Amino acid sequence: MFTDLSMTVFSIFAQMSVGAFVVLGVVQVLARSRGGRSSEEIDRLTDPATYAVGVTLVLGLAASIFHLGTPMNAINVLRHLDASWLSREIAFGLGFAGLGFVFAATQYLKWGSPLLRQALAGLTALVGVGLVASMAMIYTTLEAVPAWNSWVTPVQFAITTLLLGSLAVGAAFMGTVMWRRRQMEQQGELPTTDARDLETITTSLKGIAVASILLLGAAFVVIPLHLNELSQGGATAVASAEVFSGAVFSLRLALVFLGAGLLGVLVYRFAARTHADPRPLAVVATVAFGLVFVGEFIGRWQFYESMTRIGM
Amino acid sequence: MAVTLGFYFDQTLCNGCKACQIACKDKHDTAIGVNWRRVAEYSGGTWQITGDTFSPNIFANYLTMACNHCDDAVCVDVCPTTAMHQREDGVVVVDDDLCVGCRYCEWSCPYSAPQYDAETGRMSKCDLCTDYREAGLDPACVAACPSRALDWGPIDELREQYGDVAGIAPLPDPSVTRPNLVIRPHHSAEPVGAATGAITNPREV
Repeated sequence: MFTDLSMTVFSIFAQMSVGAFVVLGVVQVLARSRGGRSSEEIDRLTDPATYAVGVTLVLGLAASIFHLGTPMNAINVLRHLDASWLSREIAFGLGFAGLGFVFAATQYLKWGSPLLRQALAGLTALVGVGLVASMAMIYTTLEAVPAWNSWVTPVQFAITTLLLGSLAVGAAFMGTVMWRRRQMEQQGELPTTDARDLETITTSLKGIAVASILLLGAAFVVIPLHLNELSQGGATAVASAEVFSGAVFSLRLALVFLGAGLLGVLVYRFAARTHADPRPLAVVATVAFGLVFVGEFIGRWQFYESMTRIGM
Repeated sequence: MAVTLGFYFDQTLCNGCKACQIACKDKHDTAIGVNWRRVAEYSGGTWQITGDTFSPNIFANYLTMACNHCDDAVCVDVCPTTAMHQREDGVVVVDDDLCVGCRYCEWSCPYSAPQYDAETGRMSKCDLCTDYREAGLDPACVAACPSRALDWGPIDELREQYGDVAGIAPLPDPSVTRPNLVIRPHHSAEPVGAATGAITNPREV
């Protein structure tokens, strides 16, 4: 059970980190392509979220250590890159963390040209996608575990990555806005947010809301297809599907639906209106992220619980 | 290439006494919950309908299972540290100096051969009693069987002598890992995937 917890924390945090990094890249590209804003201005909005990605990734990698029976031998997991997807996963994980750290450092210190830093960010995002892909390969290639040995595993990992990544970025943007306003208040100033900053943020949040609703739809198509596949399989496949039933499974579906669906609609509506007080948008974006995070966490926990092997 | 070794199991002789399992546990002094060799009771049945009469048509058979030192040893492929490796004679063993105890091999094996030892923080498994064989003895499980249902040896010789059945329910299709195993099936044994029966002692295996 403890080993399941460490794997759940690791995989959820690693995927959320990759997703958030990719979504931040999309925000950057779209904001630049619209024109009218300097790269410094856009960086000022996305940098705090970028640094937060580093924190969540390190948390995830740290949790993965607790999965190991002999952590002193941890370095050995890089010895079988030519055959083991687990070796590749760790290599991609370290690569993503390393490149991400260098990128964050160059952003913070303003080293190199913006173009160079963008190229570095693009490379980091690619390695991050490699991380999620290799994570999926670890499970989807195991013929002994019917619940994992399916096209569903990579698709669900991709959905989790983008869904949590999007909503985390939304929450981080609003958190940054609220934090800056609070600092102004503490200095006795009237809290304000630059109108053009707010416009970039609300545009991003509208996109995030649409993405989360679409991803929710995809997730709710994949789940019944997975259950259908397991029900058509052998006795072991049928037995492994038992995990996906009952109150905990229902709670997971309800949380993801509430967070990504209902609150997704609210996020869109609040973001589409211009208003002086960004607090309601901040609350809705944060609660949406929180609900989906808990829902996805339960989903991943059950993913590990569905590990029932064929044979004896 | 040295000869590849494997096990032979005559299911028609097995009475489910589990002497092999206990001999293995005693020889290797494995921890509680770690059992390199296990005996499954596989049973099931249907109704035989004659006119208005339903009579039960039931069966039960035993299956002893350890590591099959597979040709396509999936545990060796997935191991991130190369601790899990195959020796010249085909025997799959764990290198304790390399093993990190991640349990990925455990997930990958349909025969539950690699097992996690919480005391050492590493994986452990059947090595076909390497030390006994070097001393000219049979593996502990083979020597312990009172009905002589187990044997071991070069897999080519075993196949020549006993045939090439390696897959009966509840085992996986042999194509998954190509086990070095020969079984002489009990008359009630079901083919792979037939699944009308079930393992009735799942917590023991």
